[in-house]
Amino acid sequence: MDSTYAKRTVGRILAMAGKEVLHIRRDVRTLYLALAMPVLLLVLFGFGISFDVDHLDLAVVDQDRTALSRELVRQVTASEEFVLAWEGTSPEEAIRELRRGHAVAVMVLPHGFSEDVARGAGQVQLLMDGADGNTATQALAKAQALVDVAGRRFAGATLPAPPLEVRVRTLFNPNGRSALFLVPGLAAYLLAIVAVLITALTVAREWERGSMEQLFATPVGRLEIVVGKLLPYLGIGLLQVLLVLTVGAWLFDVPVRGSLVALGLGALLFLVGMLGQGLLISVITRNQVVATQVATMSSMLPSMLLSGFIFPIENLPPPLRVISLLIPARHFVTTLRGVLLRGNGLDVLWPQLVALTLFAALMLTLATRRFQRRLD
Amino acid sequence: MSTAPEMDISLEQVRRSFGATRALRGVSLAVGRGEVYGLVGPDGAGKTTAIRLMAGLLRPDEGRVRMLGEDPAHPRTRVREGLGLVPQRNTLYGDLSVDENLHFFARLFGLSREDFTARRERLLDITRLGRFTGRRADALSGGMYKKLALACALLHRPRVLLLDEPTNGVDPVSRRELWELLYTLVHEGMTLVVSTPYMDEAARCHRVGLLYAGELIAEGGPRELARQHGVAASNFEAVFLALVERHTGGRAA
Ligand SMILES: Nc1ncnc2c1ncn2[C@@H]1O[C@H](COP(=O)(O)OP(=O)(O)OP(=O)(O)O)[C@@H](O)[C@H]1O
Ligand SMILES: [Mg+2]
Repeated sequence: MDSTYAKRTVGRILAMAGKEVLHIRRDVRTLYLALAMPVLLLVLFGFGISFDVDHLDLAVVDQDRTALSRELVRQVTASEEFVLAWEGTSPEEAIRELRRGHAVAVMVLPHGFSEDVARGAGQVQLLMDGADGNTATQALAKAQALVDVAGRRFAGATLPAPPLEVRVRTLFNPNGRSALFLVPGLAAYLLAIVAVLITALTVAREWERGSMEQLFATPVGRLEIVVGKLLPYLGIGLLQVLLVLTVGAWLFDVPVRGSLVALGLGALLFLVGMLGQGLLISVITRNQVVATQVATMSSMLPSMLLSGFIFPIENLPPPLRVISLLIPARHFVTTLRGVLLRGNGLDVLWPQLVALTLFAALMLTLATRRFQRRLD
Repeated sequence: MSTAPEMDISLEQVRRSFGATRALRGVSLAVGRGEVYGLVGPDGAGKTTAIRLMAGLLRPDEGRVRMLGEDPAHPRTRVREGLGLVPQRNTLYGDLSVDENLHFFARLFGLSREDFTARRERLLDITRLGRFTGRRADALSGGMYKKLALACALLHRPRVLLLDEPTNGVDPVSRRELWELLYTLVHEGMTLVVSTPYMDEAARCHRVGLLYAGELIAEGGPRELARQHGVAASNFEAVFLALVERHTGGRAA
């Protein structure tokens, strides 16, 4: 490629990018919104809509009244998770406490509990307030885990591995704090929406306003249009990543333990893929309203539901788990969690980065193919 | 039929449909270097389609389009460097100022800084937009907007200028100024194709093609066409109506 050709190409890309920056500057409020929204949501999610459940009020029915049963109660309520709210011997009274909302769970240690434990058949009954499903599930898991730990201590290692032990064993998020898991997921989610939406809108706008016709009559090539239009939004997207991570670190002590290169690469590839998706949508729809709807749906739903942001991938039904492999947000969330929480580097995260590259390449290829430099 | 070498633009038996609408039904025409060619016809006659084909924005279903010796719709054509287009719709960036629009198009055409400064000066001067350089394009009056669009299309000194209804919404004084400007450029060697539904403007062209329902029903110098129909050249409308009547055999018009 001769150098004047390259120089002209770069010049035209910069012209497109510069014009886009002017549009953004004419409409600063949108920019502020794009930057403030992720931070605002992060704070909301992080503080308000906490998925953490602790200091749960526990009602205890100890019918055994032995040293062992008292020790179990002590261990369970000594944890951060549960607070002893009521103690007695009547299950009926305990359930009344539950119904009144004075407790969210009742733990029943039946007569002969310590003898059963000695035989290796100890049973603890847990009654949950199912009205708040999330709390109930978590309380159940936590109580079970605590009882398991205690039970093991009592009976040596002969007890079979408890089924829900995973919850306490969350090595990298030892306190089960939501923010640590939320920040990566939220970052991916917000970036996906904003990136897809903004590109879909700006490219569709060129079609709708007719300026595409004018552009096509100049020497600017379609790839130059695409790259030039995407560059400023790539910059904004990276700024958002930085902002979300900074706020995450500042407010919620989200650490950065792993490779910054992997983090930067992941963010870049993810953004290019999202911008490509927005471009494809706008090239096909050529209409701002339709593009907005398609862009929101196609970016929001998968990156919320199938990325591991809210629902852990392991908990998805198998078919959805396979589909989630096609969702770039999933790979980006894995990358972010890997770098931030587990201290991973390129050696561990390369499959995610390859997946993100493939998605980005696919989107850009499809979009440029569909994006004919003609009006028909 | 081969095109004479001095022809800048040629359409040969061009057909173009949009779904069931046959916008052009076998149109042949050629425009020579330095010529002012008027595409005249009523709404929906196919003027915009013809101009878009010339600019390579559309491909013909059948037939051949040549612009400066090339296929303008070819992906790697160099034609666009020598082409200026002012579309019928408002296609500039309304939220950008006069100067920003000019600068953007100058960069797309790869103008050097000195070139741009000189061209900008001259174009602002002849379009009299010099006082409005900071104004947003969508805050300009209809006439000023058209002049700005023209200035943007002229920055790179195109060899061929395509204007789709450039005087639509422009007051008579500005209209005359616009034509004076166009003549200056044509004197400098530019080829000009201009579409218009106004018959009085046809008289300003060297040659006109009358488009009606996707067909070229007559072609020639405006004076010549008027003489053939025994009317004054100023009454070009009568020429057009007569031609349409003859073409449709009195069925329409
Ligand atoms: N992109 C398109 N899609 C569908 N139909 C189209 C398209 N472009 C043009 N047409 C149709 O083709 C015919 C010719 O349209 P064209 O725009 O070329 O006419 P025109 O002479 O420029 O009319 P006007 O004076 O109203 O601008 C019309 O019937 C029009 O509806
Ligand atoms: Mg038209």
